[in-house]
Amino acid sequence: MKTYVPGATFVHTSETEDLVERLLGHPSQPSIKPITVDALMNDPARGLAGVEHVVVSGPLETIKGITLLAAEYGFSVGAIPTDKQRRLARFYDIPGDVDAAIDLALTADPMTIDMVLCNGYVVLFQATVGQLPMLDAPIDAGKFSMLKAALLRIFKIDLIKYRFATQGGGEIITAASGCMILHHPKGSMAGRLIANDSTIADGSVSALISAPMSVVKYLKFLLQLMIPAGGNVTLPSSIGYLKSPVIEIEPGTELDGYIDGEKQTRTPLRCEVKPAAVRVNVGPAIRSEGTTENLAAERVDVDKLPRGKELKKAWKRERIPFFSYASEERFQDLFTALRDDSKINGLYLVLMVLSTMLAAAGLYLDSASVIIGAMLLAPLMAPIVSLAMGLLRGEETMIRNSLVKILAGIAIALIASSFITLIFPYQAVTGEMQARLNPSLLDLAVAIISGVAAAYSKSFKEIIQSLAGVAIAVALVPPLTVAGTGIGWGDFHFFSQAFLLFSTNLVGIIIAAALTFRILGFSPAIRSKRSMGIVLCLLALISVPLCISYGRIVEKRLMEQRWQKERFLVNGKYIIVEQADLRGIGGKQVVVMEVVVRDLLNRQDLKEFKKKIKIHFPGKLIVRVKTIYLP
Amino acid sequence: MCLTRRITMIIFTALLAFGCEPAPPSITPSGNIIKIGIIAPFSVSDVAKGEEGLRGIHTAMAMHPLLNNGDKVELVVRDDQNNPAKAVQALKELTHTEQVAAVLTLSGSETVLAMAGQANVHQIPIVAVLATHPDVTKDNHWVSQICFDNIFQGQVAAFFVRDDLLVDRVAIFKTPTNIYSSNLAAEFKDQFRALGGDVTDVVEILGEEADLVQTLTRVREKDPELLYMPLAAQDVIAIQQVLKQIGWDPIEMASDGLLATVISQHTEHLDLLDGLLATEFFHYLSQVTEFGQRAKKAHKGRATSYTAMAVEGFSILLDAMNRCDDPADRDCINRQIRSTTDFEGLIGKISIDAKGKAHRPLIVNGIKNGRMQYIVKVY
Repeated sequence: MKTYVPGATFVHTSETEDLVERLLGHPSQPSIKPITVDALMNDPARGLAGVEHVVVSGPLETIKGITLLAAEYGFSVGAIPTDKQRRLARFYDIPGDVDAAIDLALTADPMTIDMVLCNGYVVLFQATVGQLPMLDAPIDAGKFSMLKAALLRIFKIDLIKYRFATQGGGEIITAASGCMILHHPKGSMAGRLIANDSTIADGSVSALISAPMSVVKYLKFLLQLMIPAGGNVTLPSSIGYLKSPVIEIEPGTELDGYIDGEKQTRTPLRCEVKPAAVRVNVGPAIRSEGTTENLAAERVDVDKLPRGKELKKAWKRERIPFFSYASEERFQDLFTALRDDSKINGLYLVLMVLSTMLAAAGLYLDSASVIIGAMLLAPLMAPIVSLAMGLLRGEETMIRNSLVKILAGIAIALIASSFITLIFPYQAVTGEMQARLNPSLLDLAVAIISGVAAAYSKSFKEIIQSLAGVAIAVALVPPLTVAGTGIGWGDFHFFSQAFLLFSTNLVGIIIAAALTFRILGFSPAIRSKRSMGIVLCLLALISVPLCISYGRIVEKRLMEQRWQKERFLVNGKYIIVEQADLRGIGGKQVVVMEVVVRDLLNRQDLKEFKKKIKIHFPGKLIVRVKTIYLP
Repeated sequence: MCLTRRITMIIFTALLAFGCEPAPPSITPSGNIIKIGIIAPFSVSDVAKGEEGLRGIHTAMAMHPLLNNGDKVELVVRDDQNNPAKAVQALKELTHTEQVAAVLTLSGSETVLAMAGQANVHQIPIVAVLATHPDVTKDNHWVSQICFDNIFQGQVAAFFVRDDLLVDRVAIFKTPTNIYSSNLAAEFKDQFRALGGDVTDVVEILGEEADLVQTLTRVREKDPELLYMPLAAQDVIAIQQVLKQIGWDPIEMASDGLLATVISQHTEHLDLLDGLLATEFFHYLSQVTEFGQRAKKAHKGRATSYTAMAVEGFSILLDAMNRCDDPADRDCINRQIRSTTDFEGLIGKISIDAKGKAHRPLIVNGIKNGRMQYIVKVY
């Protein structure tokens, strides 16, 4: 059952004086002693003598003042927010309705909570230093306006040197754009990030450090904040997190300190928590959080902040660069793996032979599943990705090793497949082989997307298994095997088309992977510009036949579609073209048609039909007709 | 000069050499003018045929400003109001007073049939662009049809209904006072029956709306799946309104020129006519030839099948004139028109036989969501 305080002192301003009558009209009939803020502050000892409970309504400064006095004199506090103090209402979970807020303010069941002070100033919600785009926005602000404001600041952000210290002796030297001290996660975008790790009575103060190392990382951070992940909230890539009873913040240059949005102090900032300092009437949502004895008293999560060489670069720059730079120590494992991938070894050679043999068997059997097996077995993707990184970072050893490994792989595949071709007694062009003889711009698109995916999945251990999917999508060994088959048969067209497809994949992956690594911050610039220029020239050269081929494919599809709307009246017989497949066989255009007719077609009819096609359709077309008869 | 610059220059020169089309040989104007007569309805009724057609003729003239010998072609235009007597009078004037080399007419079948009766008398080549009645070329040596005739149109419509739409039962509507309508309705009926289809009714439309409700209710009782309507646009619209009124939604098919008239004169009824099919001369979504692409570039503004047919008709006439030593020689022009072989029209090849009959593709169009939809092309 709810119990109420028998009496209370009501601290008000002239704007909130009319609440006295409503307090007196509360069903519990409390004894209310009204007093203005000014009168109380003139002589608080006299005004608060023997007072057990204070109800306060007025500006935020008044409420903070009463909170300080509550800590000193030990009375409990009930706050009645004004219409404009929505954040305060949300912070203490106070109902929006005034009568309900009065009811809560007069309840005799206060919760003991912490009080946070920064340089001696009471912090109700947050204290900020520097630039904190989007983090400092209230949670109820419109997403569009928040995003717009954050994007407008995109090229104004700079990182400066910061020193952070915690009570436990932790000292962090980093670069950051700003820092936010939070009393409680409720009510701000920043609070979302630590909602599971902080309460109003956990004996600690929380600090979020913002350090976007590049525009790309900043955009990623905005995206993470706008679209929060479901249950488990993880810190975005540009954010560090400290939690301690005391946190000291010292930027390289002196900055203003904002307490609850008001400029009140200067750095350095010392923020400390006064555990269980005040008793406040709070709503059920805050009460249900309870105290957090189980949480770690101190937490330092600064892995995502700049460190090592990154610090020097961050401190040097006035504005953050577009792409970030990651120091080698951060991605030591990846670089080690890529260097290993670039080195040729027996395992690689054996796997190349096996995958080529498997691909050749799959191609002859016209079996997609066997060919997929060969794609998964093929080890070619690894040196290509290493080559991309080598070109990006200008690492000559990596470039040389990767090139040797790739060329050796190509040679093995071509030799092995041409030998296998000589063993097979027949020259059957299967559908799977045919599919690799018409590369177009679409194949280049597949290679580029695969290159991005390959670099991306290689960069993150948690998605490394996705590389198998990339290998299937881009399929490096089957085109090489078809090219080798072309050599075995002495068919240059066969060889050139399949090898063009392989070259498309190779060049596409190298360029896309290098750019992806660049965007992900593995290099401050494309170092080996000459080598990259050669690859780009190769891309331009390859693009010419691919463009022509693409044009042909589009023309073919359009023509096939058009054919489905063609009808012929031949010798009094009506011929409906149901399907048409345009094929280029040995330099000749062959159209294979499926036609629907009701009357029996004789040779004379077919001759007339072909004659009409010859008259009305340009180019030399060889017509093959399959007939379906309507009953 | 460095190697890179040399290579760039070689590539650039090669591109220039292979990438540019050779310019067409220029024709020197001779200063001579050859007159061509145009007879078309520009007032009273069927105005769209005249106006849209004349736009097409101007497009063809823009594509061929001079004949190959440098002579310039000049138009002498007469409005026949789609009236046979006025058309015959105009033909006489153009032949003898204006001394035109040939006459191109955009009028309907009834009017052209009247002109055809006088063609042997005047001995002047007449190019009938839109008149599809088969008798337009009968018993005369001077009239040539650029369009397909009703025999071909009726036959294709019957095949399309039976084999593409898989419809077995149709009702036919015709205007008995209109020669074109009666003729095409009869051709379709004969062809459809010959193909084993069932003609449930042949309804005569006399333009009295009060009768239409009763008529269509009666027709509905015999359950035809399709209504074949070689009628004027206003009659088709009236039928459609009554069909809505009585809640009946059969497949409907009309004939050449219907959609062109709706698009140019009755756009407010496009929604009402949604789903209507019609045999036609042209659709811009059909495969357009190189000649069609050039015409598209030269033409300004809206294009209907009347416009397209006029472009083709006038171009065939100019082509025939170009093949004569004297481009004003009427006899030669007539012979050359009637020996046109595989002329590249807008959507396919056109040939005209010795009897003056055109052999050309036919299009089936429809109206869907207020737009003309290309359904099929029949060769």
